[in-house]
Amino acid sequence: MTEEIKADVLLVDDEEQFLKVLSQRMEGRGLKVDTSTSGEEALEKVKGKDFDAIVLDLAMPGMSGIETLKRIRSEHPDLQIIMLTGHGSVEKGVEAIKAGAVDFLEKPADMNKIMEKISEAKRKRVLLVEKKREAQVKEILQSKGW
Amino acid sequence: MENKNEEDLKALQLRFVGKVIAGFTHEIKNYLAIIKESSGLIGDMIKMGKLSEDDIPEYLDIIQSIEDQIGKATEHFTHLNRFSHRMDTQISAFNLNECMEELIALLNRFARQKKIVLETDFQQDLPPVKSNPSILQLLVFSFLEKKIAGLEKNGRITVRTGAVDNAVAVKIIPEGTFAEEDTDAGMTADKIRENFIKQLGGNISQGTAKETVITLPVHGV
Repeated sequence: MTEEIKADVLLVDDEEQFLKVLSQRMEGRGLKVDTSTSGEEALEKVKGKDFDAIVLDLAMPGMSGIETLKRIRSEHPDLQIIMLTGHGSVEKGVEAIKAGAVDFLEKPADMNKIMEKISEAKRKRVLLVEKKREAQVKEILQSKGW
Repeated sequence: MENKNEEDLKALQLRFVGKVIAGFTHEIKNYLAIIKESSGLIGDMIKMGKLSEDDIPEYLDIIQSIEDQIGKATEHFTHLNRFSHRMDTQISAFNLNECMEELIALLNRFARQKKIVLETDFQQDLPPVKSNPSILQLLVFSFLEKKIAGLEKNGRITVRTGAVDNAVAVKIIPEGTFAEEDTDAGMTADKIRENFIKQLGGNISQGTAKETVITLPVHGV
């Protein structure tokens, strides 16, 4: 099994059985996993909780993966979103990356690859959060004239 | 004009086959993903040392889930295989319900993506029809595609079959709000449909509330 990673992950896919087995496998690797079966539900979940990475299906009934990606990114630009989909066209991959996804994986994907991408996403997010904090501290210091 | 009709017909045929294959491969990849993760989970559990008698029900659940996914994938393969073989011969005796069931199974994903329910209401014991099932599927597809594109989410489309005298009929009944009035991709869509129905020796009529009825003679053209 791959090395344990401590991260909070949101899995979004309309296939409940897929969510069930994938989250069990991820939890076995140390991740804390939350799941959503629709884009609408995912948008609600990210409002109340900080996730290190979101693994998002591209083709879902109702709000599509791309639409969900755009909505999440517009409200939470720091969130790292990995697309995981059965829709394997290059055009869709490019569209997802342009819309702000950090990676694009095709189903069925290799578990080690998924874990690797989550680990990278977490690293990027930590860096972004640190930079943001640094900027905030600088701003405070400047405003106080220190 | 003839060339334009021919081009539109080819475009429709390509779109039809393309949609069926895209939907099919997407579904199969989803089943394979679940099978892969389920078998991976069994491996994970063994590596974690979950090997007591108490763990057996969990293993059996996962194995059952793998079998279910294989069952669903097999059913899908059967539909695609039958769909492909319908193109082998021009005219054959076929069961209308089976022909429609197969088409709907292959197109259901596109309706689902738009949150539209695609359902069937088949009259049982229909007589076999001697006609061109491939052309009939293409004709029904052209109407379903238009109605799926036009309906807003939470709509419903029922495909009903029935028999009257020496004819069978397919009735396509949409329910819900239409966002677009006419979503035909080609300018000559109605001409293509006319051409199809002429080949099948049948008739197309519009029922109430955007219903479409396709009637075919049981004994063919």
